[in-house]
Amino acid sequence: MSSANPPLPTPTPNIFAALSAHLASKALCPSQAWLSSFLSTTRPSTPLPALQKTALFRFLATDITTTSQPLPTAVLPANVADGSINERMVRGSVVVQVLDIDDVGRSRWSQVEALEAAERGETNKGREIIRVVPNEDGNTADTTQGAQEKSSGPHKLLLQDAQGLKVYSFELHAVEGIGLSMSIGAKLRLRDVTVARGVVLLEPRSTEVLGGKVEAWDKKWRDGRKDTLKAKAGIRDGD
Amino acid sequence: MTSVAGHLNSQDFEGAYKSWNGCSPDALFEAPITTYVENDKKAIATNIETQARYASVLFIWTDCDREGEHIGTEIRETALKGNRRLEVRRARFSNIERAHILSAAQSPIHIDENQANAVAARIELDLRIGASFTRMQTLTLRPLLEAHGMGEEVKVLSYGSCQFPTLGFVVERYFRVKNFVPEAYWSIKVMHLKDDIRVNFTWSRGHLFDRLAAFIIFERCLAARLARVTKVETKPTSKWKPLPLTTVELQKCGSRFLRMDSQRVMKIAEDLYTKGWISYPRTETDQFDEGIDLRSIVQKQVQGHAWGQFAQGLLDGGFNQPRAGRNNDKAHPPIHPVNFVDPPALANDEERRVHEFIVRRFLACCSQDARGSKSTVSIVYGSESFTASGLQVLERNYLDVYPYDKWTSTQQLPEFAVGETFEPTEAFMREGRTSPPGYLTEPDLIALMDANGIGTDATMAEHIAKIKGRQYVSTRPRGRVVHAEGEDGDDVFDEEPPVRGARGRGRGRGARGRGGGDNNSRGNTGADGVQEFIPTTLGVALVQG
Repeated sequence: MSSANPPLPTPTPNIFAALSAHLASKALCPSQAWLSSFLSTTRPSTPLPALQKTALFRFLATDITTTSQPLPTAVLPANVADGSINERMVRGSVVVQVLDIDDVGRSRWSQVEALEAAERGETNKGREIIRVVPNEDGNTADTTQGAQEKSSGPHKLLLQDAQGLKVYSFELHAVEGIGLSMSIGAKLRLRDVTVARGVVLLEPRSTEVLGGKVEAWDKKWRDGRKDTLKAKAGIRDGD
Repeated sequence: MTSVAGHLNSQDFEGAYKSWNGCSPDALFEAPITTYVENDKKAIATNIETQARYASVLFIWTDCDREGEHIGTEIRETALKGNRRLEVRRARFSNIERAHILSAAQSPIHIDENQANAVAARIELDLRIGASFTRMQTLTLRPLLEAHGMGEEVKVLSYGSCQFPTLGFVVERYFRVKNFVPEAYWSIKVMHLKDDIRVNFTWSRGHLFDRLAAFIIFERCLAARLARVTKVETKPTSKWKPLPLTTVELQKCGSRFLRMDSQRVMKIAEDLYTKGWISYPRTETDQFDEGIDLRSIVQKQVQGHAWGQFAQGLLDGGFNQPRAGRNNDKAHPPIHPVNFVDPPALANDEERRVHEFIVRRFLACCSQDARGSKSTVSIVYGSESFTASGLQVLERNYLDVYPYDKWTSTQQLPEFAVGETFEPTEAFMREGRTSPPGYLTEPDLIALMDANGIGTDATMAEHIAKIKGRQYVSTRPRGRVVHAEGEDGDDVFDEEPPVRGARGRGRGRGARGRGGGDNNSRGNTGADGVQEFIPTTLGVALVQG
């Protein structure tokens, strides 16, 4: 029936265009090189919608500074981190990736404690070790400090655009999807975002979490989390 | 009709296992155990055996909890030795009112073997674990003891499965305090003067640990210039009357309000019970059975000099069914006064204070909640929300008889209208530092033990006394607590209870209005005398190994 393996068809410009368009709809700008290497890993017979989904998923897992070819309007202005400017707006859509995240609503010491408690197995399941005594006024409302205290925020994130420019950002109003359980390397889409004193202000109206993760960065971040927090707080090890 | 005094039987290892060097500690987990009657209980056992001969039925009336069930089986075993054909029944009762006792007598049940076996398992575990760990840790830590010159006075480092966690809590807290690192935080304060009233608005975020973020937010608030009122609300609010009194609660309150340690409080409570003034003081139940006639108990207190009038008021219409807690050990009711006694007739001041507390607590349970009105005003300033609130106490109710709880009106808020805008009189950023948690006090420790199931109401005080007695912990008075109320009522603690009111160190700019003098309460060892627990070197070594 079939002869010897037919040669791999070269991707038609149509597929390139279709994939680019799909990713562009999320303001993502993959480079030609990346698209080529992506397509070389897929079967030619895969239907287009599946290809598009896979392309999106894979692209979100990359370091966009190496895999993008962004338009000049799709990156942050060079002086975005300038602290002398009170306020300015960055028009249009810019995609950034998350390099670091911090919960600035809780002290670092309490975050270290929560991590250590989780390590010891004192999570919310079953019997909770109660670290707080009920309030003196007798109202024993929910005073149990679950060892795994949820990220209360607000959060401060370190972001990086496709050309490598880094900027700090702060969650002015809670954005769904932003939290300590978020992956490092996740992508955010910023639309007409306000920048105050060199810090990007994240709000639901301007910020969309696209998702994704860079596995290597995320693992490194999580493994070193406790030590980073301790260093920031000035906690010295040992008694 | 006769009685026992706790467990009849004791257990120990046989022969060679009894001596410390007779085997390695872990062999004790499999070693055989004998059960025998301790010398001081022999007379009781003999009595039961003898009495059994003249009876045809044995009716067990021990407490209706697990331990009581097990003691029931011990009695049964002893009685059957005297009379093999004895029938055995068990009474189920949860208070000692006449009607209840009669009905319990008329509907006997059988001993619950499962509960009795559970206790037998507990006893065996305690023996095996206690003995093996005691030997192991004494032998292991002997060098440390000798190095500290304690080799003579401390011969045995005993391990108890309840003592150890109790000590563990103290050590754990000690290290948390020792390892604590204060961190700086920033918060935004807004104050507005209206109708001659200074209204303080609290930031909804509380405080942030990043100065730049706080500063940016603050700058934007200032840029917005005007604040706008988003909510004005007045709602009724109440402070709940206390729950019926349990042993644990009595110990905690004894420590906190009466400045007496838990063992002392329990001793006094037991004396009051044996003299017939209060009900059985070892109970976990915090709900009153419907069948109990509470009004008649209140009636008895009408003669009281200090609380008689309040009691009369309850009978004249102010009476309210007590709140029901979630615990019921089915064996005893909550602690309450049983008969009236004139305070001067009691033995000493401590007895008077404990008795007074129990009476007042009971009367408070039967009163109404205190009622008030809480008003809140919320504003939006820049991107941030702030809230001010005021409390008006309208009816004190139970607070009149229970001075141990505090609830006071704050300054009244001026009128605000939703949508109203104003330029805040003052808005500034303030820096603070987090403070370490306090070392554990006795009420804290009891609460932790209770929450984690360490010890029973009957034994908690003993475990605490033991770790003190064995010098695993020491106590010292805590620095005087200053409750700085008023305008700047926000103390930031890292999750710790508000008992420790000491202000964070280094309050930065903006510490306004208050004379610097009374702020720093740390150096001041006041007359409070709340004791806090510090582990000794030995205690730490035990926990850390």
